[in-house]
Amino acid sequence: MRLIARYAKEKQDYFELITVFDTQTEKQRITKEHPHTDSIATQYPSALWFERKIHDDFGIVFDGSFDNRSLVHQESFPPNVHPMRKSFTQKTLDFAPYKAYKYEEIRGDGVFCVSVGPIHAGIIEPGHFHFSQAGEDMLHQEVRHFYKYRGIEKMCEGKTLFEAKAIIERISGNESIAYQIAWRDIAVRATAIELPLPLRKYHALLLELERVVHHLTDLGFIANDGGFGAALAWGSKLAEDVRRKLKQLTSHRFGFGAITFAKPFLDTAELQSWSEQLEKEVLFFEEWISDIPSVWDRFDTTGILTRKKCLKYGVVGVMARASGMAYDTRAEPFYVEHGFEIVTQTSGDVAARFKLRFAEVKNSLKMIRSLMEESPCALTTPISTVQDGEYEAFVESSLGELYMAVEIVDGVIERFFVRDPSFINWQVLHTMMPGNIIADFPLINKSCDLSYAGNDL
Amino acid sequence: MIRFWIKRVQKGTLTENKAVDEALEALKKELKSTIGKKFAGSLSIRMADSGSCNACEAECNALSNPYYDLERLGIHFVASPRHADVMLLSGVMTFNMTPHVKDAYEQIPAPKWVITLGDCPMMQAPFEPSFAIKAPAEEHFKVTHHIAGCPPEPKAIIEGFLEFLRKI
Repeated sequence: MRLIARYAKEKQDYFELITVFDTQTEKQRITKEHPHTDSIATQYPSALWFERKIHDDFGIVFDGSFDNRSLVHQESFPPNVHPMRKSFTQKTLDFAPYKAYKYEEIRGDGVFCVSVGPIHAGIIEPGHFHFSQAGEDMLHQEVRHFYKYRGIEKMCEGKTLFEAKAIIERISGNESIAYQIAWRDIAVRATAIELPLPLRKYHALLLELERVVHHLTDLGFIANDGGFGAALAWGSKLAEDVRRKLKQLTSHRFGFGAITFAKPFLDTAELQSWSEQLEKEVLFFEEWISDIPSVWDRFDTTGILTRKKCLKYGVVGVMARASGMAYDTRAEPFYVEHGFEIVTQTSGDVAARFKLRFAEVKNSLKMIRSLMEESPCALTTPISTVQDGEYEAFVESSLGELYMAVEIVDGVIERFFVRDPSFINWQVLHTMMPGNIIADFPLINKSCDLSYAGNDL
Repeated sequence: MIRFWIKRVQKGTLTENKAVDEALEALKKELKSTIGKKFAGSLSIRMADSGSCNACEAECNALSNPYYDLERLGIHFVASPRHADVMLLSGVMTFNMTPHVKDAYEQIPAPKWVITLGDCPMMQAPFEPSFAIKAPAEEHFKVTHHIAGCPPEPKAIIEGFLEFLRKI
């Protein structure tokens, strides 16, 4: 079984621990008097962050876990505060005395540690990486995040689905459309409305545009991190073209607020020729960079993620597909009818992820041409009231499988949970480091291009 | 590779000029001369993300693409606060990030300024005050200039830099 998520809810007189696998969902009651349960982290290593987070959020203790450190609550976070409990209603918190965090470190003769972050040298999000080094060789790396922890889950509680949308679309800017589509699926189920096909196609088109922007940006940056700056100029030029197209279609460069229940008129002829032109440029870019041996010297065999680790950790998205796992949420009739073809690579290195992104851009452009429809469209029936209940949604964002679960009670959100694909994938990153030199870390990290904001919430 | 150079010559310069956007061009000229006068040719910016959604960072990265090419105006993003004149702050100042952002600010040699980027540091984004958020930024720093938007577009960021330079 593949672990998708593990999270908790507070009920009237007990905690409910929910573990979502690809084949089943398990629910377990935990008493409030003795909030203890068994860890599954030995069997499912990516359960570790979920469990550490649940401990911070609710104070539930996982017996038998090999790591009980705080995850979300950092050095100056007040101890014994569990913000996801319903009894916690404070709007401000004061800094507590500094308590050092114990990093995973390898010790030995000549072994030393390198700390990187949270603020990095480039224009990127904050996060911390802790390396144990033997000279240039990386022996171990610990990924430590949650610097961007904004308390989104708590913030959404008590709001209606429609009030929470502005927050949900700003969880991770690079995946805004994917988050909005997850929100849409939940709203559709909760209000029992039938989504017209043209509307669904339009939303899928925007999702593919978002994927194209993200992949093109990465294709520039990965090569740049491999020391080939000219590719960044090309990649970022193409990404800007797509961003401007997104702005033209949705009046926002990141598509904030784009997923609504009405579809505007679409100039299909113009979009057709635009996408064909872009495809030519992408093909040129691919052919050109495929011919630069020094780039491939950096990419090949660097940062290998094995298929075995993918299975063990339940890795999703680009990282999984580059390691030979044919797994994509879009592998369903609707997307397949509109040109979706799953692409995989087998070597699991930076080169595999780089090539996979090119293949996915080309597939997305093909899908865009198949998904476009000219006439505007809107819901014929008004949106009815939201039915109370538990709803979940899966969307393939540009990073991978996004999972969202919402419980609605009395018309407002009782519990909002979302698991960004990065939350799983960050945890496997350390397995890709041994055997590589520290100078290749930025390259490996960029080739995965995981989200910090979506991970930290 | 030879085909790349042929394509390169055919494409010419992409950076948006008068024909594409006259206003931007006028702005760039003004910006260049102001920077020359006030900062001996170059303005160095340390970008610090205190808990954004990454859209503001993406737009700052877009400033280096061939359409905007910010560096030719003498404005660059630097790798260390110790090289910087200005801290460009995005995000909602999360509980976990606030001490680190303050540390970075301390490391900037005086005279120094803070520019806030996007709606988050001013608490104008849809995020609500929460236990995990320490914004607005004014409670922690003297903010000289604010660039509004969610996220501000690259052109708005360039205009924001100009307005900042007019202020000081």
